[in-house]
This record gives sequence, structure tokens and C-alpha cells, in this order.
Amino acid sequence: MNPFFFGNSSHPLYGVYHPPSALPHKKEAVLLCPPFGQEYMRSHRAYRQLTLLLNKKGFPVLRFDYRGTGDSYGNLEDTNLSDWLEDINVATEELKQTAQVDSVSIVGLRLGGLLASAASKELQIKRLVLWDTVASGKDYQEELSQEIAKFPGSLGKFIDQNGTIHFNGFALSKNQLQELHKLDLYQSEPLASQVIQISSSENPAEQKLKSNWANKKNFNYQLTPAPGDWNFVDDFGGILLPHEIIQEIVRLFDNSMQDAK
Amino acid sequence: MKEIALKIGKPTPLTAIVNTPKQLDQNKPAVLILNSGVMHHVGSCRLSVKIARQLATSNILSLRFDFSGIGDSENRSGTQSFHETSIAEITEVMDYLEKKRGIKKFIVYGLCSGADASYDIALVDQRIIAMVQIDPYVYRTWKWYVRHYGPKLLKLKTWVNYVSRRIYKTKQPLGFSKTVDKDNLEIASYAREFPKREEVAAGMKALIARNISMYSIITGGQSEIINHSSQFKESFSDVDFSNLLTVEYYPKMDHIITNPEYQRIVIDNICTWINQVIDNT
Repeated sequence: MNPFFFGNSSHPLYGVYHPPSALPHKKEAVLLCPPFGQEYMRSHRAYRQLTLLLNKKGFPVLRFDYRGTGDSYGNLEDTNLSDWLEDINVATEELKQTAQVDSVSIVGLRLGGLLASAASKELQIKRLVLWDTVASGKDYQEELSQEIAKFPGSLGKFIDQNGTIHFNGFALSKNQLQELHKLDLYQSEPLASQVIQISSSENPAEQKLKSNWANKKNFNYQLTPAPGDWNFVDDFGGILLPHEIIQEIVRLFDNSMQDAK
Repeated sequence: MKEIALKIGKPTPLTAIVNTPKQLDQNKPAVLILNSGVMHHVGSCRLSVKIARQLATSNILSLRFDFSGIGDSENRSGTQSFHETSIAEITEVMDYLEKKRGIKKFIVYGLCSGADASYDIALVDQRIIAMVQIDPYVYRTWKWYVRHYGPKLLKLKTWVNYVSRRIYKTKQPLGFSKTVDKDNLEIASYAREFPKREEVAAGMKALIARNISMYSIITGGQSEIINHSSQFKESFSDVDFSNLLTVEYYPKMDHIITNPEYQRIVIDNICTWINQVIDNT
């Protein structure tokens, strides 16, 4: 693995490039778009595990952090949605150059799925894997707000007087939330040669997406029961490693897409 | 400030991020930022990144890295315990900074298991001049029991529950929350075990003898062990800390520090304390 900073030198992004570890090397590289906040912390290990398994199947992989998150440049409060979409674009180009391939697929987990879907319209994506994807910015805000309502008086989960949502140590400002509201998979489909929705449970939002897209030729839906409580956080920052779904994603990449149907 | 990603050590390198300030003074100690449990080098709620960047504004170099098998560092083969590998890997990182940047003194910072690793390396490496620990080893005292059980003993409900348990023996098994599938929850490779108090007290005395400055931040996340501000010093009543120990107790702060105001306090206080230590060195 090769950790490095890339992109615009005024706001570099942190990434870890993993070259394929087995032959034959695939001509398709995979970009992993992380979720947000504590979910990003909680899924880091799962993404690394997914990466290593994809490497063993010959795929080069790039993991990276959006601006204002992880090790990438900037403060979260100074970033906006368009920055993150631009970051996905920059990471895609970086991956093409580093892996020396023309074809890129993306895996997006939770908010990463929604962001990758929005970014896909400016990119030529081979396969777009939406893992437990957030269906819309509005849904995401509602989900966080409902959780906050369960813990009145919490110091770690609350909405402040400016309308900023503080959730398990990370914050989304009112402006950022308003921008997120523009993203809506119910209204606007992602653009990719193949779209694969993989869910760890049959929740209503994902079922609605499934039914909306059911007649699309390039759409596959996969239900793989697995732990998917990404927004849960314990007292010690425990992580989630749902092996079943990680292995299923690797299988989807490794096999022909016909198998996924 | 310049941030660079590095791979340090052989044969399986550790992944590290070095924050180099605009004006690097080799005579200043560097700050080593350690993992907390299985969380990668970004740190709980991005605290490690924020501390590193704030230190850089004071021209202090810092390095955050992942122990082998954690975060972005690959596994290393072997049968050594985390205690042994963490000491070896921190030493490896210090050797690197000494060789490449000419830095000879270090301050270690860590939360939870990172606090334990800070203590472990400080005991064995003379290059450590200070340590910052969030939720370090601490031990119950008789005052803890009084404060913990005292209010409960005055409540009728406590006695009713006690009698009910004696009659019906309805002990609930300890385990994971129902929302967590334990087969899929990766437990920290480092299971936190507190050494005997006497052992840590002896270690503290050794550190004091070497003039090591210590800054301990205690959160409310350890309320099963500590529940009042003077308990840390009281649990080491046989240690004369002189003026080398600073303790702050925040009973409402959770262990992974999710509250934004507490995050700001922790970052500011740690950076201020480190600057003071360096100024006095």
C-alpha cells in the first residue's frame, strides 16, 4: 500500500493506493468513497479489508478522504458539497493515472454512495456499487435528527442554535445540510454502465430505490443480510466489519455481472 | 506547515503522517501521536489531526502513525504482544525522526490504549521527556466506593432491587448490546488490562525520577473506575509527583470526546501544555 497526498497542492487529499497483489492485473480500478463522520471511522477497517480482497482479485484500489475529513486538507466547517464532488472527480483521475487504466468503478458506502452517485454524472464509471446507500440528503438529515431526538440532553448528539447538526463528534452546518438536500436518488439516477445496489437490510428507503430502478437494464440489487448499523457508536469507538457484505462485493467484482442478477 | 505521508521501518513499514512546521527547530522535541484502540491515526473525532495541525502553528513537529495491523499499517508477523510491539514500533519511529530530522527528544500523546503505550515507552526510552494521556491507568480508592455506592444505599429502590435479586436470582448475562452483532464487531486487538496499582506506582516514581512531565485528562467515560477530581493523585498517594503532574477531570466528557466544546478544550489545553513543557525544557 502506498499512502500519499494528491490533487491540488492548495488543498491536498490523503489517499492510500493499493496495487493489485495477484495476477492477472485487471484493467479496471476501484475507488472507495467513504461515508461521513463517525461512520467513516467505523468503516475504515471494512474498507481496508475490502481493498485487500479486491487486490487479491487483481484490482488496483484507491481509498481517500474528502476535503475537511480524515487526513485531507482543511476543516470540515469550511468545506461544502461541491468540494466533495470535485474530490471524487480528482481521486478518479488520480487512480486512472496511478493504476494506468482507463476504466474506474466506484464503491460508495452510506453518504459515500449518495456522493458517488452525484459525481458519476461527470465521470465515466464502469460499475457503481451503492453499499447501504443514503437515498437522499433529506433522508440523511431526518435519520440524524431522529437519532438526536432519542437522546435529549446529549452532549454528543444535538442540533445547535445555528441549525448545525452535531452527531457523534462530527458536525454538518445548516448550509452543508441545505446543499445535501439537492442530492436525491429518488429523483436523479446515477450514471454508470452498471449500478449495483447492495443492502445489508431491507429498509424502506432502499426498497424504494430498488423499485424505482427495477426496470433499468443496467441495475442490479443484492440483499446480503449483515450488520449495517453504521450510525451506532459505542463508548470506545468500536468498528464494524461485516464480512458477509464485503465478500459479496468482491464476488460481484470478480464474477460477471450476470451472476449478480 | 507541510504534511507528508511516510512509510517507516522494515520489512513491513508503518504508515505515518509527519506535520513539519515552517520553521523546524531540531532542538525542540517532536510529538508522537499514538492510536487509540483500533481507531486509525486520524484519531477519535479527528482529534489527532487537529492536535497535529495546531502544534505545527507553534513550530512543533508531530508524527501520527498506525501501529502494525491498525489503520493504514499492514500486519507484521510474529507472536509478540501489543505491549512489546508498540514499544518496538514507537522506538522505530523515534529512530527514524532522530536519523532523518535530527530530533532527539520526544513527547508522547495517547488516548486509552494510546495512553498505556505512552506510559510503556516513557518507562524504557530516555528520549521521552513528557507524556499526555487521556484516560490513563487509574485505580479505585475508598472514596470512589463511597461516592459510587453511597447515594444508592440511601434509595429505597436499591434495597428493593437487592432483595428481589436475592429472592429470584434473576441475574442478567453480561454481553453486547442487541444492536451489535458480536461476530461482526472487531474488538480491539489490544484488550485493555490495567497492571497492578503498585506496578504503575513504581513506574510513576521512575518517571518522576527522570523528570518526566505528565498531563492526564480524565473523562467521565471511566466512571466505573474514577468519579472525582482528586482520585487520580489519591490512587497514587505513595508517589510524590512534585510539580510534574497536571490532572484535569471532566466528568461530563465521554471517552471518545464527541462534544465539540470538549474537543476544543482538549485540543487547546494539550497544545498549550506541550508548549509550556517545551518552553521550560
